[in-house]
Amino acid sequence: MTFKKTELLQGTLDLLVLKTVAHGPIHGYGIAQRILVTSKETLHVQQGSLYPALHRLERKGLVTSEWRESGNGPMAKFYSLTPAGRKHLQDEAAQWRRYAGAVALVLES
Amino acid sequence: MRFPWNRAESELEQEIAHHLHELAAEYERQGHSRAEAMRMAKREFGGSEQVKEYCRDERRWAWMAGLWQDVTFGLRIMRRTPIVTIAAILSLALGIGANTAIVSLMDVVLWRDLPVPNPQQLSLVNWQGQGFPRELADGAAGSMLRSEEGGSVANFFSYPGFRAMRDSAGGMASLAAYVHSGAVSVSYEGRPSVAELRAVSGNFFSTLQTKPAIGRLLSESDDDGAASAAVVVTHRFWEEALGGDDRVAGRTIRINNQPCIVVGVLEPRFYGLVPGDGTELYASIRHGARLLDPDSGDKRLFDNRFWGVSLIARRAPNATAAQLQTALQSAFSGSWSAQPKDASRAPRVRLDDGGRGLGFLRREFRNPLLVLGGLVTLLLVIACTNIANLLLARAAARQKEVAMRISLGCSQARLMRQFFTESGLLAGAGGAASIAVSYLTANLLGGFLQGRNRIPVEITLDLRMLATAFATTVLALLIFGVFPAWRGSRMLDAAWLKQGGGSMVHASRRKWNTGRVLVLAQVAMSVVLVLTAVIFTRNLLAIESADPGFDRRNLIVFETRPGASGYAKKQLPGFYFNLERRLAAVPGVSGAGLASMRPMNIGGWWDTVALAGETERHSASINGVTPEYLPIFAAQMVAGRNLTRADVAGEAKVAVISEDLARKLGGTSVLGRLLAFVDGPPNASKPTFEIVGIAPAMAVTSMKERPYAVWLPFESERSDATVVLRTARPPAEVLPMIRQAIAEIDRNLPMVDVFTMEDQIAKSLQRERMFATLCNGFGILALTLAVVGLYGVMAFSTTRRRGEIGVRLALGALPGDVLALVLRDGFGLVLLGMMLSIPIVWVGARYVEKELFQMKPLDPASLAPALLLLLVAALVAVGIPALRASRVQPVQTLRQE
Repeated sequence: MTFKKTELLQGTLDLLVLKTVAHGPIHGYGIAQRILVTSKETLHVQQGSLYPALHRLERKGLVTSEWRESGNGPMAKFYSLTPAGRKHLQDEAAQWRRYAGAVALVLES
Repeated sequence: MRFPWNRAESELEQEIAHHLHELAAEYERQGHSRAEAMRMAKREFGGSEQVKEYCRDERRWAWMAGLWQDVTFGLRIMRRTPIVTIAAILSLALGIGANTAIVSLMDVVLWRDLPVPNPQQLSLVNWQGQGFPRELADGAAGSMLRSEEGGSVANFFSYPGFRAMRDSAGGMASLAAYVHSGAVSVSYEGRPSVAELRAVSGNFFSTLQTKPAIGRLLSESDDDGAASAAVVVTHRFWEEALGGDDRVAGRTIRINNQPCIVVGVLEPRFYGLVPGDGTELYASIRHGARLLDPDSGDKRLFDNRFWGVSLIARRAPNATAAQLQTALQSAFSGSWSAQPKDASRAPRVRLDDGGRGLGFLRREFRNPLLVLGGLVTLLLVIACTNIANLLLARAAARQKEVAMRISLGCSQARLMRQFFTESGLLAGAGGAASIAVSYLTANLLGGFLQGRNRIPVEITLDLRMLATAFATTVLALLIFGVFPAWRGSRMLDAAWLKQGGGSMVHASRRKWNTGRVLVLAQVAMSVVLVLTAVIFTRNLLAIESADPGFDRRNLIVFETRPGASGYAKKQLPGFYFNLERRLAAVPGVSGAGLASMRPMNIGGWWDTVALAGETERHSASINGVTPEYLPIFAAQMVAGRNLTRADVAGEAKVAVISEDLARKLGGTSVLGRLLAFVDGPPNASKPTFEIVGIAPAMAVTSMKERPYAVWLPFESERSDATVVLRTARPPAEVLPMIRQAIAEIDRNLPMVDVFTMEDQIAKSLQRERMFATLCNGFGILALTLAVVGLYGVMAFSTTRRRGEIGVRLALGALPGDVLALVLRDGFGLVLLGMMLSIPIVWVGARYVEKELFQMKPLDPASLAPALLLLLVAALVAVGIPALRASRVQPVQTLRQE
């Protein structure tokens, strides 16, 4: 199952971002990079949707942010998961697994 | 300014910069030059402005930031056309202000509760029956009205009846009594003044649950006749007449020259039993009755055939009105001196809502207020229509801006919000300005809705008023804001952007665009307002110029109260005789007469009269007069003789009647017959008077009502009298000498309410005058707004048709043809608007008819000037654009096209 580079199923971006942020404080560029690497270059997150998604999650209280020095240069905004975000991630991930499993069952029948 | 959204903006900037930096660093690592890497990073990132815009939409303060942009943009637009903006705000301020004022007044007069705890527990105790209960009572003081269900409702009871009812109510209710207030002279620490006094039972204030500001209020023990007279004063009286003295409680005040003890001061918010209640002093009931009527007040109080107290009750929370009614009824019937023969016609106790206090202001002003309310609503709608039209025109002028925004990705909802914000700004400014307008107007109006004692109804700038202004503003915004916002934001094709110059070729060419429909509605509504103004002005003029039946110039009227100034009963005939003689001798005075009732003053002495032995009855206004009185008004008698000095001295049972009453009773043949006063107990012998003369018919109580009149010999032992003087020169020249003559008789005798007859008449017409003035104001405002609206639409449409007109002229049309074309177009609108107003006028006329004096609302004499006025105004509004259109230079316009 492959996605074209720009096509992310609706709603999955938030899930991917939450999961990525769950590993520890990370900035926007890092998130995009890590999703690209862990999906083996399959999921290419558009910057145009990444930042609005981060702002949306922040407004909902699922992630928090702080400004700190990034490894090489200017100040960057680092995002991390809140307890509410962690809970949300668990629920959403379980939901996604159920959904993906169900789709797989139908396709393989 | 530092707003939350500004900080977020710079953070976003930085965040994106960081991303680009990282991306560029990556490309650099892959071996690209620094500049090249940056360019690649930017290309990959895409439109950073777009990303920012998406992020903004996700932010917590996004809507606020958007609103702020809308507001600043709206303000810039408003500043660009300051005159239009100011005109719009002003007309809104006037429209909203007038509405708020009328609603505030309606609130105070019609809806507001008395300022006491739990007003819903209060009931006015009345009784319902078939007219005056002659079997049960000989006399009464109070009011009796026709009830809605037929029969009559009265508010007077005997004092013994009240005591029985109070005791029978027991734990169910607290029942208190009060009497009609009256004027008294007051002296406190040597400072004299005049005040209004009401006698109330000791439990009056505890029933209302009013609190004292100083000292105590009355209690049951004050009802004891042996106790010293206790008086409670209002807060206003305490401030104005008693100098706000903190130690006033326990001090002595002289009322009508009798010592009384001020026991306390009422809380400031207590204004009495009705808005505009002029009562300033409350005395315990027995002392109060004696102060108001030194001769018989006290005696009458204990006579159960004199019904002179009114009742107010506060029900206990657990008692129902029906239970209370039953208990009061049995005590009421038990207190009667006899049982009526026909029990079904006997008075029955009835409880009316008392939470809002006494009802006479409500009854009197309900209709005028509703009419005014209707008028100001129409006015507001006209103002709103004008502004809607203005906004529509502005939206049309901004179509390019709108097209630009749409093609740059602005949604229709966002555009609507922009337009609506601009309307909201206008409405907000208008609403804020309206508060001042409404406050001033409401108090001006309060002056004409005076209570019984000419105390204006006061309107305070309180939360209710602000809430009303706010609600009206929102209403106005909905009327004028929504449609232009929707219209202005409608999607337009990109062709708009391509258009050049000022050409409006593609603008709506339909004959009935929205602007024209709105103007049509405006014309229709202004017809209503202008017509109302004309009708009420004519009404006022008709009343003012009506012939009262006597020469109203050079007449002076004033009151004198020797009884209150210490004259004994047996001194009074001599005093009055002397007074009349001395006044008649003043140079410039050609006649001086005395009467018991003030002429041209509503109220007074009324009775039902009939020829003895006959059944035909007529209601008549009665007055007791001296022989010199009638000649002041009428040069000669129609038939028979005038009253004589001997009639007055001998208290003769003779009467002079007015010519119209004589005609009704049988012409001059009534001379010598007996006239019976039938309002009295059925078995008692009715007082009869021999008719000795017939005087010309004249207005005796007001210019509006023309009751039959009966004049009896002056009762020369009464404690007060009205003096009427006919002067040979202007009253102002003679008045100083009259004052001097009075001072020579008795230096301490005040002249009360000195007026010329013309002033007295004008004063009695104050309500009609104020009403006509208001209607005129509203009418002029409406007409102005409609003319501006019509002018705007006509000017807009002729400008748009310049090309067409140019072609017509080039093809040989004469300027006159163009003029006619535009005039026809404009007047078509006006006439259609007038026709549309017919149903509103027709319905409104029936409301208004009751308020008019001998006049139909829709007679041609009213319609003609109103319509003429509108047509003249329309001529101005249509004529100017028409003239301008006829002077179009064809070559010039054709070149422009």
